[in-house]
Amino acid sequence: MSAYIASLISVIGINLILALSLNIITGFCGQVSLGHAAFYGLGAYTAAYLAKLGAPLPLTLLAGMAMAGAIGIVVGLTSLRVRHDFLAVTTMGIGFVFLGFVRKQKWLGGELGISGIPGSGLDAVTYALLIAGFAMAVLGFSLWIKQSWMGFTFDAVADDEDAARTVGVNVSTYKLTAFGIGTALAGLAGGLYVYFARIILPDTFDFVQSIAILTMVVIGGTGSVWGVFAATIALTLLPEVSRAAADYRLLIFGAMLMLVMRFSPGGLAGLVKRKPA
Amino acid sequence: MLFVELIVKGLVYGCMYAMMAVGLTLVYGLLRILHIAHAGVFALGAYMTVTVANATGSLALGFLVATAVSAVAGTAIYRLAYQPILHHAAFVPMVVSIGLFIVMQEGFRLIFGAYGIAFDTNPWYVANVSLAGISLTYVEIAMVIMSVVLLVGFGLFAGLTRAGIGWRATVTDPQMATSFGVDPVRVRYVNFLFGSALAGIAGGLVGLLNNYVEPTMGGAVSYKALAIIVLGGLGSVRGTLIASLVLGVVEAFGAIYLADIFDRDAIGFLFLIVVLMVRPQGLLGRG
Amino acid sequence: MKKGLIAATLAAAVLLAGSASAQIKIGFHAPQSGPAAADGKSSTIGAEIARDWINEKGGVLGQKIELVIYDDQNKPDQSVPIANKLIGQDKVVAAISGSYSGPTRAAAAVFQQARIPYISAYGVHPDITKEGNWAFRGVQLGQPQGKGAAKFIADKFGKVKVAMLTMNNDFGQSIAEGFKEEAQKLGLTLVKEYTFGLGERQFGPIVASVKNDNPDVIYAIGYYFVGGPLVAQVRAGGLKQPIVAAQAFDSMKLIEIAKDAAEGIYIVGGMDRGRKDPADFQPYLAEFKKRAGYDAEAVSANCYSAVMLMADAIKRAGSTDPAKIRDALAATKDFAMLTGPLGYFNSVGELYSPLEVTQVKGGQFVGVTVIDDQAILAPPK
Repeated sequence: MSAYIASLISVIGINLILALSLNIITGFCGQVSLGHAAFYGLGAYTAAYLAKLGAPLPLTLLAGMAMAGAIGIVVGLTSLRVRHDFLAVTTMGIGFVFLGFVRKQKWLGGELGISGIPGSGLDAVTYALLIAGFAMAVLGFSLWIKQSWMGFTFDAVADDEDAARTVGVNVSTYKLTAFGIGTALAGLAGGLYVYFARIILPDTFDFVQSIAILTMVVIGGTGSVWGVFAATIALTLLPEVSRAAADYRLLIFGAMLMLVMRFSPGGLAGLVKRKPA
Repeated sequence: MLFVELIVKGLVYGCMYAMMAVGLTLVYGLLRILHIAHAGVFALGAYMTVTVANATGSLALGFLVATAVSAVAGTAIYRLAYQPILHHAAFVPMVVSIGLFIVMQEGFRLIFGAYGIAFDTNPWYVANVSLAGISLTYVEIAMVIMSVVLLVGFGLFAGLTRAGIGWRATVTDPQMATSFGVDPVRVRYVNFLFGSALAGIAGGLVGLLNNYVEPTMGGAVSYKALAIIVLGGLGSVRGTLIASLVLGVVEAFGAIYLADIFDRDAIGFLFLIVVLMVRPQGLLGRG
Repeated sequence: MKKGLIAATLAAAVLLAGSASAQIKIGFHAPQSGPAAADGKSSTIGAEIARDWINEKGGVLGQKIELVIYDDQNKPDQSVPIANKLIGQDKVVAAISGSYSGPTRAAAAVFQQARIPYISAYGVHPDITKEGNWAFRGVQLGQPQGKGAAKFIADKFGKVKVAMLTMNNDFGQSIAEGFKEEAQKLGLTLVKEYTFGLGERQFGPIVASVKNDNPDVIYAIGYYFVGGPLVAQVRAGGLKQPIVAAQAFDSMKLIEIAKDAAEGIYIVGGMDRGRKDPADFQPYLAEFKKRAGYDAEAVSANCYSAVMLMADAIKRAGSTDPAKIRDALAATKDFAMLTGPLGYFNSVGELYSPLEVTQVKGGQFVGVTVIDDQAILAPPK
């Protein structure tokens, strides 16, 4: 495997974990989040900070997950208090608060971020395979949740919270679970990113990144694991095959987002498998 | 003295936020859509103002064109992008709106250039009035007057005219309003027309204020306007106005006294989150 | 005999033609879409002008230069695959970053491992060159730039009170650190440091507070698009103090935005547009304007000079072997860049170059003085 292919696989793997993890929160459980990049960043900053202190890779990844998941559950608590549209703006706000805080912290490098991060100890190809392995695990986990009892309950919460509550579903627990799992996995992606890029800057985890992750989810089909899987790979590779059209890349990105949702709100998955009207 | 000046500056910026946020809140009140592309309409207004003003030398004509184009663009967005998907979950039109906003931003960059445009002549940008040591530029004063006039005008319209009462009725209870003979579709058009025109004028004013119109100028305002309408209690015009002014002042103080811990964008949202923890329905929300 | 000579000449001609059509590939990445696209566009045009001019004069080592250009979207996760692609598929012998710090730092590690010489044309993050000895920087670090500004203020205005307005990014932070360090040594008083984001355009609160501090000099670090509204609002707020600004103010757009309010601003690290040397400076300004439709600023000049420097190193190496190019780069002495002469590279690939100070006069950037002080501007190791 060439180093180029390995780096592409690494990026795809990280994006897959990000998109699939947001899909658990937004797709499965119906909780709109516009701040997923903050949890990606939390994982990355935690892992990078510990890595600089000399902590080994498994520990930094776990710590990144734990940190992102813990804060994720706290944010999830707001989803219990505020209604749907408020949640979208609140999660967006979490993203801005995270960024605005991190960039002012001298001990986190401030605007210079964290760099000089020690290598993973693996060569580029092995590390790419490790990322791919994690991505596959997240994929399998998503598929498992979807058809498990938990998946059905998530579905019920997403569909109609009040109805779910009347049939005895503990809505709060499930929402928090979705937030906890989804954000912890975003933290994992952050940790993996750290050893890949070996530098993290605050702006890597900005609102635009949150929207990029959301785009992969909605174009694939909110809630559809395979749809999100396919869309993430396609969207990540798009700039590779169309480098010439770089000037129009974001324009095309936005147009796709708009048109797919306008004409097929179920995303690509909705096009493939149209429900009878 | 500094305190007074910070409050004054905060209120001026609050007026600017209000002109943006009221349009958003009108849309939300009626359709329950988070109309993020509103920020694109705002930037469109700025581009129209600067290109027409630079081409013809007439700022008034610039504002006129900006108002008209923004109003039409906003209405077209409703008709083409939102109306066909209103029956979907609120999430769907919101994502469409995000996509549209990205398209508009990139469109401005491709058409007008990434480097942005300055006004050829902009005498009111530095010229100022100084009162008791506090100086306000003519553009800042114009912004305050314009927002007060337009918003008071709107308040009179909503409170006193037949169409305005119909509008309010539609926001409160669309079905009931329809049965009383109000055409809800027309109300929606009026809504987008007015809100978008307001955003277009705000865009032109902010363009003058910065003397710079750039592709990304909608960005910062759009996030803040979203925070404001949530803060105000989604759909409440009065709440939005209060929230706009409050945020303007909070930011002004934050930019000086909190800058070592948070940046200015974070301050607004931090304030929002704190308020929501205490009052989940926003400042004036009905829950 | 005659026949033999003709045949030999023909053979030589064919050989020469053959080698002249071969290309020396140099990788180049810059942000070409999204919010960072403006600088990416300028930097790409600057690099392309250098390529075209080199090739018009017959190329390097009898071969043409080919720039392999990719869009990195200003993202590290894009620049790493791009660096790998440039190395593995395009087989470049050297590479240049026309991008910001994040993507540049991430790509530097890849080029270091593959042993390909790499120049960061304007990325200022101190760690870009720290990965190893294959990365060089074509611009002063933030620290010396900040120190230079402190020296300029102390020389020009004496031991004054300074209010500092810093932009929130790596550029702002690193310059601010250098400034504060040197300001203390030189006896300047820093009354207060204010910070603002790249997206900030309304500076009312900061201006009000600066007025309250009543400093002697205002030192502002930011990009021209933040700087334009900033200086205009400082002046509108009734502040008449001299404004000293950092390099990234250097853009004709600054004057377009701030208009009269820009008059008198000093820029430490600016470009005197009336300068006659180096000889390619004035032709470059004209050519850039022709291609881009707007005036050249430091970012594009940095990229132009980085390509020129790389070509010069290849010529001096007499080979396209990356190791020899690297050695030639490291041995660079007194190379004329558009932004000023490059004295030398230190052991970690940071350059020494004097800082030009310009002032806005009559809507133009005019040279005021040059700071050429080894003690202050020597690159940190």
